Amino acid sequence: MNKTADVVIIGGGISGCSIAYHLAKKGVKNIVVIEKQYLASGSTGRCGAGVRMQWGTERNCLLSKLSIEFFENANEELGAVHDIEFKQGGYLIVASTEKEVEQFKKNVALQNSLGIPSVYLSPKEAKEIIPHMDETKILGATFCPKDGHLNPFYTTEAFANAAKRLGVEFMTYTTVTGITTENGRVTGVHTDKGYISTPIVVNAAGGYSKMIGQMAGVDIPVYAQRHQILVTEPVEPLQGPMYMSFSLNIYCQQTPHGSFIMGRGDDKEPTDLRITSSWKFMEEMAKTCCELLPILSKLRVIRQWAGLYTMTQDAQPIYGGVKELEGFYLACGFSGHGFMLGPATGLLMSEIILGEPTTIDVSNLDKDRFARGELIFEPSVV
Amino acid sequence: MLEKTGIPTKEDIKSITPSEERRRKGPVAVIECFQKIPCNPCYTSCKFGAIKEFKDINDRPVVDFDKCTGCGVCVVNCPGLAIFIIDETYSDTEALVKIPYEFIPLPEEGSYVTALNREGKPVCRAKVVKVQNAKSQDRTPVVSLAVPKEYSMEVRFFNINDYFSDNTYICRCEELTLGELRELIRMGYRTLDEIKRISRAGMGPCQGRTCRQLIMQELAKTTGQKMEEMPMTTFRPPVKAIKLGALAGGDDNE
Repeated sequence: MNKTADVVIIGGGISGCSIAYHLAKKGVKNIVVIEKQYLASGSTGRCGAGVRMQWGTERNCLLSKLSIEFFENANEELGAVHDIEFKQGGYLIVASTEKEVEQFKKNVALQNSLGIPSVYLSPKEAKEIIPHMDETKILGATFCPKDGHLNPFYTTEAFANAAKRLGVEFMTYTTVTGITTENGRVTGVHTDKGYISTPIVVNAAGGYSKMIGQMAGVDIPVYAQRHQILVTEPVEPLQGPMYMSFSLNIYCQQTPHGSFIMGRGDDKEPTDLRITSSWKFMEEMAKTCCELLPILSKLRVIRQWAGLYTMTQDAQPIYGGVKELEGFYLACGFSGHGFMLGPATGLLMSEIILGEPTTIDVSNLDKDRFARGELIFEPSVV
Repeated sequence: MLEKTGIPTKEDIKSITPSEERRRKGPVAVIECFQKIPCNPCYTSCKFGAIKEFKDINDRPVVDFDKCTGCGVCVVNCPGLAIFIIDETYSDTEALVKIPYEFIPLPEEGSYVTALNREGKPVCRAKVVKVQNAKSQDRTPVVSLAVPKEYSMEVRFFNINDYFSDNTYICRCEELTLGELRELIRMGYRTLDEIKRISRAGMGPCQGRTCRQLIMQELAKTTGQKMEEMPMTTFRPPVKAIKLGALAGGDDNE
């Protein structure tokens, strides 16, 4: 079954679905999204699904602000069948070192200058927001009430359904097996369901984006790394905001459903495409959580799972085309923040593909910044 | 097998099944009497001579389907409750199965029940079209169920509870009903994994121990997939819910 498309998007996660929606909304016809399994089956459906505006670089603040403002109206904008369950309970990011205190004060000043309503708090003030925390473990905190959490499955479904209504075709359970090129141009995509001839391919394949790049002969400097999460039984509302610490290595949030979701990073995690669960994570996560939020020790863990962060050297995404292959676009390397940046990714990528001026300048988030040595370090990442 | 399990074999059933041609003509008696016992009220009660004369009282009944009118008199006269009337002319898609039912309470006409097969396993949802309990029936009420035509030779009993109702809970932890599940399948969700993620079914404290099979059954039934060929969801740790405090090595007594 061979066909022709104007744009083929590889990856049915939040990025792929949002790019498809935004392109279709701008009038692009004949868009095909290819997904190996089902929508949100990869990193999108496995993520912690928190969204925050509290970043340490201006652009990340603006990208996430744009996304959160989109999420605020997404049910209406996308005509969602299932409520996307956007809860803006805020993020409380705690500082436990003097260096963090200093950085966080700078962050708040930057965020406020961009219209983000974050505040710097003393441990005592932080405890008023999350009363069950052990405030003796921290030196200070920042809080932004507009940060929050939403349901990644319903959010992806909403983008996909809105895109479908605009004529986008979704091919799920379809595997990309090759990308064809001619004279430095993309010409099509081979799949296990047939060949699609197309001048434009968008690589939004998350953990598999490096592999897709290789099919097109483009080396993408990203690597996939396992990150793990656990979830508890649901309980009565207890904790409004996300509790997060970079130095103590934890994020912990109660979802509207009542369960607590928590995760942490680990530099020693495997960097292949493994998504199995480890006991080490469970034990370390439990220890960190019980130390910082003691009351949660009474909660029962019911499940743990893992997903992939697609890491870049500077923990920032790669947006845009590549100079070695015309018609080949990248939206990958989100380094654990692809879900929260979903709306911005869709809008910016649609602008880049159509050659329009971009709402936020992301021209130096191109793939070649690593070769040029122009890394842009973000101080606020887990 | 019948002696051991009480369930007739496929060959047993085949030997007493009226031809398709006969079934298309109207109601007919199906006698599921597979053991030689000294009993003949079916023969004596039939006014049409449709049940052949017994040479020996231990003989098994043989029905002359051309003479049988499906009147149902033999149904209430059989002490073994082994006779059923099936009527495949009931509607375009449904057949009527008349079942002798000596239990209380009797179902109400118009209500829905769970139709069961000869092994007592649920087959489908069935509407109770009629409940006959006249004096002449001598306390053997007959319940008429409307079932999809393909189940006319399957359905032989029922559970008065309507387990196939849209209100039945499939996932008790996360409260997914059968109606909600059916809606998700209609929306295009086709695998257990997709349904788990979009509905939370199987994500509760029991981790899908009950709902996994129930969802697969419904998916198999609706989409025509075979259960044994359908992909499962990943079984994730821990096997049993465990307190964070215990995992952290605290003094919890778990």
